[in-house]
Amino acid sequence: MEWLTVVYLAYTFFGFYFLSIYILTYLQNRKHLNESFVPDKVRTLSIIVPCYNEADSIGKNIEAFLRSDYKGLKRLIVVDDCSSDNSYEIIKKYAKKYPRVIALRTPKNTGKAAGAKNFGIKYANTELIGFSDADSIPNRNAISKMVGFFNDPKVGGATSRVFVSNPKNFLERIQAIEYKIIAFTRKLLGFLDSIYVTTGPLSIYRKEAFDDAGGFDENNLTEDIELTWHLVSKGWKVKMTIPAIIRSGVPRTIKTWFHQRIRWNVGGMQTVAKYRKKIAKCGMLGLFIMPFFTLSWILGLTGLGFLVYRIVGYVSTKYLIAKYSVSAQVAVLSMDGFALSPSILFFFGVLLFSLGLAYTVVAISHSKEKGLIIGYSVLDIFIYSFFYLIMYPPLLIISFFKYLRGYNTW
Amino acid sequence: MLKSRKHVFWEALIITIAIFVIGLFLGMMVETGRSSEINDFYMQSEVNLIDAMALSQISNEKGADCETLRQRNIEFADKIYEEAKLLELYEGSGKLTGSMEVLHRKYDLLRTLAWISNLNALEECDNYNVITYLYEYEAEDTTKRATQSVWSRILLDVKHGDENLVLIPIAVDQDLTSLDVLLEEMGITSFPAVAVNKEKVFYELETAEQIKEFLD
Repeated sequence: MEWLTVVYLAYTFFGFYFLSIYILTYLQNRKHLNESFVPDKVRTLSIIVPCYNEADSIGKNIEAFLRSDYKGLKRLIVVDDCSSDNSYEIIKKYAKKYPRVIALRTPKNTGKAAGAKNFGIKYANTELIGFSDADSIPNRNAISKMVGFFNDPKVGGATSRVFVSNPKNFLERIQAIEYKIIAFTRKLLGFLDSIYVTTGPLSIYRKEAFDDAGGFDENNLTEDIELTWHLVSKGWKVKMTIPAIIRSGVPRTIKTWFHQRIRWNVGGMQTVAKYRKKIAKCGMLGLFIMPFFTLSWILGLTGLGFLVYRIVGYVSTKYLIAKYSVSAQVAVLSMDGFALSPSILFFFGVLLFSLGLAYTVVAISHSKEKGLIIGYSVLDIFIYSFFYLIMYPPLLIISFFKYLRGYNTW
Repeated sequence: MLKSRKHVFWEALIITIAIFVIGLFLGMMVETGRSSEINDFYMQSEVNLIDAMALSQISNEKGADCETLRQRNIEFADKIYEEAKLLELYEGSGKLTGSMEVLHRKYDLLRTLAWISNLNALEECDNYNVITYLYEYEAEDTTKRATQSVWSRILLDVKHGDENLVLIPIAVDQDLTSLDVLLEEMGITSFPAVAVNKEKVFYELETAEQIKEFLD
């Protein structure tokens, strides 16, 4: 057997394995996807919102939290990280009007969300603490749907489902699909105690667990991934709440999207590097989250490698054949090239892709809005599945080089 | 309330292994079936070749019946050419077992014998032509693979326009001693190469018309 065949079989094996985990988890738990629990008591909560140049959205964010139906929300701590716009003035106006709102300003710009978050945490002395992004708008019942998970004393964190706020252009629409699939997948991972990130737009932690993890790592570009790994490594459970919806802004241009993804990837690499010694240890972190995280990168890169290898080989051979055919005065196209006799590897690939596509459709249909069955056109799903996902591995390669060069810019 | 469902890791592993085992088993079954099909063709061709060689010997000893010989050799060459195309198609999709490679080697030996037989026949009869296309089966260089592909098209063009032509494609990198000796005798050392009868060997791509100029 050729080495390329062996690599391809290994690739499809792991692809099938991960997909089987998702599909089985979904089939066995589909009735519990929308689970939320009534809190056994009212736990006090502080929400901390870091803010940097968010004058357009911070007011809406504060108002949305003030509308929350959760009675235990005692403090809304909004930390301005030395914005150059009038964000701080807006925050102060709300603080003056509503006693629950606390306006803070860092002594100097920390440069990262983690800096402002850690600054704000000093002012929170509630049983639970939550964090939100300044451009995010939670549903009225988002918090109350999440806090019931803390009935279990082993639960250290609960995260929400992020929807893209008012997607208009094509990139935003594709990200809306992506976010829904991420949320669906995260819920499935939650059934396996394997959630690897608590999202920035809205996550709530038990203060005891948060302190146990030592707060946010300000040297990490994805402080939310790092904190989640830290919690899991300490034995805390992390849960995902599908009914807790928060709408958040996403990059509108390729440039900002690219910058965001580089940051996410580099942050992920920083986290893997930090916890590398925990592999095969520390419960689900070392047994599944870390291997899953790193293997998904390897699978992505292997898939890209196959694709590039095949395309380059095919195109260069066809080009030379066409060139030589012209000089030899024979037909450039030949029916011989269209003879099809697919191998078992082809069928494995088709099966894997079909299952992946079915998973995408199921994930989207479980996140439907506006009463639609799917909510997206076939073209959007096609572009997401064929082209958008292919962008992940090249971004990973660029991120890896940036990581090696010490990239650490928010 | 928050019961863990980690048994799914084992269940998924079992399902994945089951899919792979079934898939690989089916794949091997298909490949074995195809190999068996080609093998049947091969055995028939082997009989035909021996028949053609016996006919050639009779013709040499008792005076050549060149028309019968021409007809027999062309029919045989056409048959194994068609089988070669089928073999090539199956080889492209045969990833799990090495059975097709062994068959390819056997066919190359058969085609070498056919070439030798035709070269001998040409000494008595000049009523048809033999073109032998010598290529590398495991060529990795893209330029060489493209050149070989274009050579195939050129020779197919030549073949389609001439009913008196025997076309024999032979892979030279199959470790066949008889073929190596024959190539050495003919002074052919680089590939792809196209031998027209006994007179001319082409190494560079030519047009079909240029090759036809060397046919009787």
